[in-house]
Amino acid sequence: MVNGFAPCRVNCTGVPIVSAMTNPLIALTGVTRTYDIAGKAFTALDDVSLTIDKGEFAVIVGQSGSGKSTLLGLLSGIDRPTRGEVRIGETLINTLSEREMSPWRGRTIGIVFQFFQLLPTLTAAENVMLPMDFCRMWPAAERRDRAVSLLDKLGVSDQADKLPLTMSGGQQQRVAVARALANDPAVILADEPTGNLDSATAGAMLDMLASLSGDGRTVIMVTHDREARRSASRTITLTDGRVASEERANA
Amino acid sequence: MPDPRWRKVLRDVWLHKSRTSLVVVAISVGIVGAGSVLNTWSLLRAVTRAEFDSSNPASAVIRTDSIDESLLAQVRSIESVALAEARRTIAGSVLTSSGWKTAVLMSTGDFRSSRIGTIKHESGDWPPSANSIVIESSSVDFSGATVGGRFTVQVGDGEPRELRVTGIARDVGLAPGWMEHVVYAFVTPGTLAALGAPPTLNSMRIVVADRNLSRDQIRRVAAEISAVIESSGRRVHDIDVPVPGRHIHAAQMDSLLFTQGAFGALALLLSAFLVVNLVTAMLAGQLREIGIMKTLGARPGQIAGMYLVLALGLGLVASVIAIPAALVIGRLYAQFSAELLNFDISGASIPAWVLMTQLAVGLILPVLASAIPVVRGSRIPVSEALRDFGIAGNGGSAGALLRRAPGISRPVILSLRNAFRKRQRMILTLTTLATGGAVYLGAINLRASVVASVDTLFGTQRFDMAVRLASPHDADSILQIARTVGGVGNAEVWAGAQAVPEDASGVMGSTFGITAPPGGTTMLSVPVVRGRWIRAGDTNALVVNKRLVEDQPGIDVGRTVMLTIAGRQSSWEIVGVVDAGPAPAAYAAREALAHQTGALGATTAIVESVLDGPASQLDLVQRVRTAMTDAGLEVQSTQLMVEQRRVVEDHLLMVAGFLGIMGQLMIVVGGLGLASTMSLSVLERTREIGVMRAIGARHRTIFSIVQVEGLVVALLSWLIAIPLSIPMSFILGKAFGRIMFTVPVTYLPNPTGAMSWLAVVVGVSIAACAWPAWRAMRVPTAAALAYE
Repeated sequence: MVNGFAPCRVNCTGVPIVSAMTNPLIALTGVTRTYDIAGKAFTALDDVSLTIDKGEFAVIVGQSGSGKSTLLGLLSGIDRPTRGEVRIGETLINTLSEREMSPWRGRTIGIVFQFFQLLPTLTAAENVMLPMDFCRMWPAAERRDRAVSLLDKLGVSDQADKLPLTMSGGQQQRVAVARALANDPAVILADEPTGNLDSATAGAMLDMLASLSGDGRTVIMVTHDREARRSASRTITLTDGRVASEERANA
Repeated sequence: MPDPRWRKVLRDVWLHKSRTSLVVVAISVGIVGAGSVLNTWSLLRAVTRAEFDSSNPASAVIRTDSIDESLLAQVRSIESVALAEARRTIAGSVLTSSGWKTAVLMSTGDFRSSRIGTIKHESGDWPPSANSIVIESSSVDFSGATVGGRFTVQVGDGEPRELRVTGIARDVGLAPGWMEHVVYAFVTPGTLAALGAPPTLNSMRIVVADRNLSRDQIRRVAAEISAVIESSGRRVHDIDVPVPGRHIHAAQMDSLLFTQGAFGALALLLSAFLVVNLVTAMLAGQLREIGIMKTLGARPGQIAGMYLVLALGLGLVASVIAIPAALVIGRLYAQFSAELLNFDISGASIPAWVLMTQLAVGLILPVLASAIPVVRGSRIPVSEALRDFGIAGNGGSAGALLRRAPGISRPVILSLRNAFRKRQRMILTLTTLATGGAVYLGAINLRASVVASVDTLFGTQRFDMAVRLASPHDADSILQIARTVGGVGNAEVWAGAQAVPEDASGVMGSTFGITAPPGGTTMLSVPVVRGRWIRAGDTNALVVNKRLVEDQPGIDVGRTVMLTIAGRQSSWEIVGVVDAGPAPAAYAAREALAHQTGALGATTAIVESVLDGPASQLDLVQRVRTAMTDAGLEVQSTQLMVEQRRVVEDHLLMVAGFLGIMGQLMIVVGGLGLASTMSLSVLERTREIGVMRAIGARHRTIFSIVQVEGLVVALLSWLIAIPLSIPMSFILGKAFGRIMFTVPVTYLPNPTGAMSWLAVVVGVSIAACAWPAWRAMRVPTAAALAYE
C-alpha cells in the first residue's frame, strides 16, 4: 500500500487530468506507428485497438521488434501515433502539445525505466522530490517528508541521502518506483523494470507493481520476463506490431 | 534548501568543472577585452575633462614681435577677450646623456600668476628661478632629467650654458615630448637672455569671453586682435586656433579607442560564440536527463529556466573574475594612453556606470548566447531525447570523400572525419580562429602600409639633413658654403615661411608652413594627386597637401587664396594638391615666395651626405653648422632626417601596434575556442576512445588523433583567414586613416605574414589541443566503455 496522500490536483495547463475516471481507463483505437528508417517506412504498430481498465496490471510481451516499447511510448505520450488515437481518462493524449504534455504526464503517469534513469547528481530523496517540484504538487516544505515516506514504503529510506551510483540495481529500481509514485499518478508504466535485476530482486519488484494495481492504480508493464505474467491480471502479446493474443489471469 | 532541480544545476556545474571553467574563461576574455577599452575610454574622458578644461587652455595663440603690458591691456579691453597673456617659445638644444636633443624653451613674465594653459607643478621647485630649468613632465624620461641634475642648453649660436634642473611640471596642452622627440622646458626671461636669446615675449595667448564660441568665431576674435597688434606697428607672424575644448591628440585617441572598442566588441561576440558552442555541447550531454525530467513533468520553460539560470550564474562568476582584471588592464592602458595625451590619470576613477555596464554585459551575454541552444534543447521531444544516442554524424560529404582517399592512414582519416562531425561547432570555431587570423594578417598589412607610407614620405625628401639659419641670407652664398664641406654630396638652399590664410570675409584660418625649394628642385619630389608640382619661373603658384585641403574650406586646385606671410598680404593660385604628411603644409618655388613677399633670402641648407651611418651624418651636420657659423651665419637649428623619420615612425607604428594588440586578443579567444571544441570532442567520444584502446590503439595514436584533428581545424582557419584578411586590411586601413592619415592600404596578405600566421595558428592548435589530447590518452579503457 503506497497510497494514502492527498494530492493537490491543480492543473495549470487546463488539460483534464485523470480525476473522473471512465471505464475503460485507457483506450487505443486503430493506432498505427510508422517510422522512416533510411528512407523506408517501417511499421512498428499496425492498427492496434486496445482497452485497459482501471486497476488492471497488464503485461505486454512479445519478441524484440514486436512493438512493445513503441506501445509504451504512445501510452506515455513520449511518442505519437501516425494514425489512430490514444485516450487516457478523458484526455486524447495524441492531441496534446509538447508544452501541455509534460505537466499532464507528470501528474497522471508514473514511468519506471529498465535502466532506472535516476538523475546521477541528485540523491534518492531528491530524485523522488523532482516530479513534485516540476508539477508543483504538495507544498514545498512537505515534499521531502513525502519522498522519504515513499522510499520507506519501498524499503529504501536508508538510501534517501545517497547518490544513485552508490546503490545496487535493486535499490535504484525501488527509488525509481518511488519517483514514479511521487505525484500519486493513476497510471504506472514500466519498461522492462526487471530487465536489469537479479531474479530475487525482480520477483520483489513484480510483487510491488502488483500491489500498486491492488491499490486501484493501473499498471502496464512491458517485459521479456515470462515469470512476470504470473503477477499480471492480463497479458497482451504483440507480434509484428499487432495484438496476437490477450490472456486474462482469471479467464 | 533549494528545490531539487536547482540542486541538480549546482551539482552539474561541479561535475563538469573543466567545461564550466571554459565557459567562464570564454566570457571572461570577452569582458576583459571590451571592458578594458571601455575603462580606458571612461578614464581618459574623465581626466581630459578634469585636467584639460581646468588648465584653461588658450582659445588662440598669436605670434608677433615683442609684446608688452600696454599691448596686453589693449587686447584685454576687447569685449570678446576674457584673458590675454604673453609667452616666449624658442627652439634650442639640450645636451643629454645620449647627445644633443632639440629643446623648446618656454618663458613668461610670471608663471605663478599665469591663468591660461596653467602648468601643474609635479616635483621639485616651481616656477623656474634664474639660471635654472624646469622640465616638462612628458620630456623627463626622454631627456633623462632628474631634479637636482644639470643640463647644458644652447640657443642658436649662443654660448652653451649649464643650467640646474630644479623641478618638473606638466603642461597638458603640449603634445608629449617623448613622442615629439623634443625636450620641453620652462625658464625665466633672464635665463633666456643669458642664453643669448631675446628675452622679449612674442606669443600672445588669449581666452575668449564666451566659451561656447565655435572655431570660426574664435578665428574672427583672433583677427580682431591681430588688427589691434598690427595697428601698434607690430607684425603678426602666425595665428593658431585649436579646436575649442579638444586636446591636440584627442581626435586620434578617440578614433583609436573607437577602433579598439570595435575589436573589443568583436572579441566579446566571439566569446559569445564559444558560449554557444559549450552550452550546445553541454545540452547534448544532458539530452537524456532532459528527456527524463520531461517524463517527470518538467515543462520546456522549466528546463530552459534551469539552464538559463546556470548561464546567468556562470556570467556572474566570469564578471567577478573579469571586471577587476579589466579594471587593472584598463587603468594601465589609460595610463599609457594618457601619456600620449600628456595627462596624469592618478586620482581619476572609473565611473560606476561603466562597471555596471560590464556587469550587465557579463550577466546578459551568456544568457543571450545560450538562449537559442537552450530553448531548442528544452523543446526537444521526449522520444528524441531518450533515444539511445551514439556518436552523431559521419562527417558528411567530406567524410565520404575521406573514406575513399588513398594513402591516408586510418587514424589520420579518423582525425579528419572527426573534425567534420559537429558542423555548427566546427563553423563557430573556424569563425573565431579565422577572424583572429584575419585581424593578425590585417595588422601586418597595416604595418607594411605604414612603413611604405613613411618610406614614400621620406622617399620624397632626397636629402639627409637640414641646417636652418636664424635669419634669411643670400641663397647662393649659403650654397657655396655648404658645398665646401667634405662629405656633402648634393645641396640646395630653401626658403620657408609661415602663412595665414584669409577668406573672402577677412577671417584668418590656421597657420601653415610653406616650404620653398628652388623651382627646379631635385631634392624634393612629392606625389601629385591633382594639378601639378612647382616649376622654375612660377610667380604665385602654390601646391598644397591633402590635409590642408581638408582643413581649410575653399583651398583647392584652381582657387586663389589670400595669404599673410611675414605681415604682408599676397595672392596665390593653387596649382596642385600633393599627398605629403599628416600636418597641413604647402610648397612654392623659392623664386615665387621671394616674388610674392619681397624677401629675397633663404634660410635652410638642404644637404645630401655621401657618408653613411648616423655617426658620420651627425659629424657632417656639425661640420656644416661650423662652416656656416665661421662664415658669420647664425644657425638656429639642425635636423637629421634619420632622427625625423624615427619621430614619425614612433607616432605611426604605435597606432598600428595598438591595432595589432587586438589581433592578439582574437588569437587568445580563437585558441580558447579550439581548446573548448577539442575538449568537448574528446568528452563526447570517450566511449569511442575506449573502443580504440580496447582494440589496440596506443597512447601515441590517441594523442595524435586529437592533435591532428585540431591541426585540421587550424589549417582550415588559416586558409579562410587569408581571403578574410582582405576586407580586414581595408577596415584597419580605414581606421588608421581616421586616426592618423590616409595610407595606401595593402590588401593582399604578404607571404611572410601568411607563413607567420600559419606558424602561430599551428602553435595555438598544438597548445590548445595538448590538454584534451592528454586527457584522451589517460582515459582508462574500462571507464571509457562504461561512460554514458
